[in-house]
Amino acid sequence: MISLFAKTLGDQRRSLVFWSLGLAATAFLMVMFYPTIAESASAIEQYFEAIPPELLALFAGAITDFTSPAGFLNTELFFLIIPLLFMIFAIGRGSGAIAGEEESGTLDILLSYPLPRWQVIIAKFASMAVQTFILAIVLWLSLLIGAALVGMEIGWAELFAACISAALLGLSFGTLALAIGCARGSKGLAIGAASGIAVISYFTNALANAVSSVEPYQKFSLFYYYIAADPLNHGLNAGHAAILLGVSIVLLAAALLFFNKRDLSV
Amino acid sequence: MTNNNIAVRTRNLTKNYGRKRGISGVTLEVKEGEVFGYLGPNGAGKTTTIRLLLNFIHPNMGEATVFGHDIGKESVQVRKSTGYLPGGLELYENLTGQEFLDFTAKLRGSVDRKYVKELCERLKCDLSVRIRTLSHGNKQKIGLVQALMHRPRLIILDEPTIGLDPLMQQEFYHLIAEVKKEGRTAFISTHILPEAERICDRVGIIRNGKLATVEDVNQLKARALREIEIYFDKPVSPDEFDGINGVQNIRVENGILQCSVIGELDGLIKAASRHRVLNIISREPNLEKVFLTYYGESEKSND
Repeated sequence: MISLFAKTLGDQRRSLVFWSLGLAATAFLMVMFYPTIAESASAIEQYFEAIPPELLALFAGAITDFTSPAGFLNTELFFLIIPLLFMIFAIGRGSGAIAGEEESGTLDILLSYPLPRWQVIIAKFASMAVQTFILAIVLWLSLLIGAALVGMEIGWAELFAACISAALLGLSFGTLALAIGCARGSKGLAIGAASGIAVISYFTNALANAVSSVEPYQKFSLFYYYIAADPLNHGLNAGHAAILLGVSIVLLAAALLFFNKRDLSV
Repeated sequence: MTNNNIAVRTRNLTKNYGRKRGISGVTLEVKEGEVFGYLGPNGAGKTTTIRLLLNFIHPNMGEATVFGHDIGKESVQVRKSTGYLPGGLELYENLTGQEFLDFTAKLRGSVDRKYVKELCERLKCDLSVRIRTLSHGNKQKIGLVQALMHRPRLIILDEPTIGLDPLMQQEFYHLIAEVKKEGRTAFISTHILPEAERICDRVGIIRNGKLATVEDVNQLKARALREIEIYFDKPVSPDEFDGINGVQNIRVENGILQCSVIGELDGLIKAASRHRVLNIISREPNLEKVFLTYYGESEKSND
């Protein structure tokens, strides 16, 4: 199991490096932009007032203080771009884990070795989780460095909390893709279904901030547990983080169950 | 353990896919130490049987054991004592041959590195380049090495010689002979009759998902059917060849004699030697023709 975990990490190390670079650059450049925003605070606030709040809520969250460090980062990074990137990353890893190997035909060789199926899944899941949290740490460090360079006042612990929250969100959708791949053996289906649910989940949470008829459904959205407690201002909400982690664990258990019973496709 | 001398035992093993594929009621025993050929045309159910043994798919009915271990409940035990070469072999294309074998050796736990090296040298594997760049035959060789590397008690090979050049096929036959000599067991699926005749002790013939017969390979050889063409320098008369033991369907056109021969060729060759012989062509019939001759029914009449 350890060797499969190590091999999966090894296979994906190059892609992880590029993801890290991309994510770090995105975050860093966005922070570099902050002093300009802070300088023209009043003009920007006026500008936001002119936009219908419903529209704003859809793509930037409930903006209260765009020109404060946490408000700026929430609006520009953590509401949409960061969770989107984490989900794309984890769904890619999760869908490839079993369904990807099954479609490329290598699962036959792998499972002909004396490895119980659950160990294969655990090794693949662990590799996905470790990589997702590596990305979170890379993101955190690049934000810390950026903030230090432009004199942005934000707590390192709160930043860390927001990055971990994003990783937990990404991991739950990655595990969803893993479970769908385990159940059906199709990578395309795993990516499509997990991404579809992610999009619905995003809009349910975002719209609920602005449209009262959507509000009752907000708590069904994983995005709610990712951002509603505002980790950038208040740190990680233990309950919400536990829900995200719990969803991953339940989906992992489902993946084990589905995969153990299923016939592999040729 | 009561099954000491039985490597593979299936009882009424059944897997339904759709209307035509799968296997139904396959009951067979492979003895420890023998080379068992699993012979059948493509789509007959050879791969399905093998995938059941390895627990990739689960049977609808029936049961099977490998060295006494249930293929479902004790699959890890089964796979521990087994080496497997898949039919449609796919390896990790991003790895080099060496990296791949290092990885599979780790999955096996303890593997004799010297033996792996020896196998690679004998099969002339190129281990330094990425598997992606290898030809099918060269991938097949690495596949063979990973199946044999831990000296398993049972090797299961699904169409092992596809893509191997003739020289490597010979080397492969030698490897199988060694496996047998060491008292280990081989279960080899193939659709090539001469290959089964050459390397197997016993042959199970499967068609349309049903095991038609299990025979000693010598019995099979005694009934081997060949299409023979003999080219003479002058026209010959068909009557000269009529009535020779095992010779059928004689056609003569100018100096060319065509016929089918069951069993040994001695009678025909001696009769032909009275003339000047320019060329002899011997063709192995396809499996369907063999079935037709042996069992007097064609594949189609079964639907």
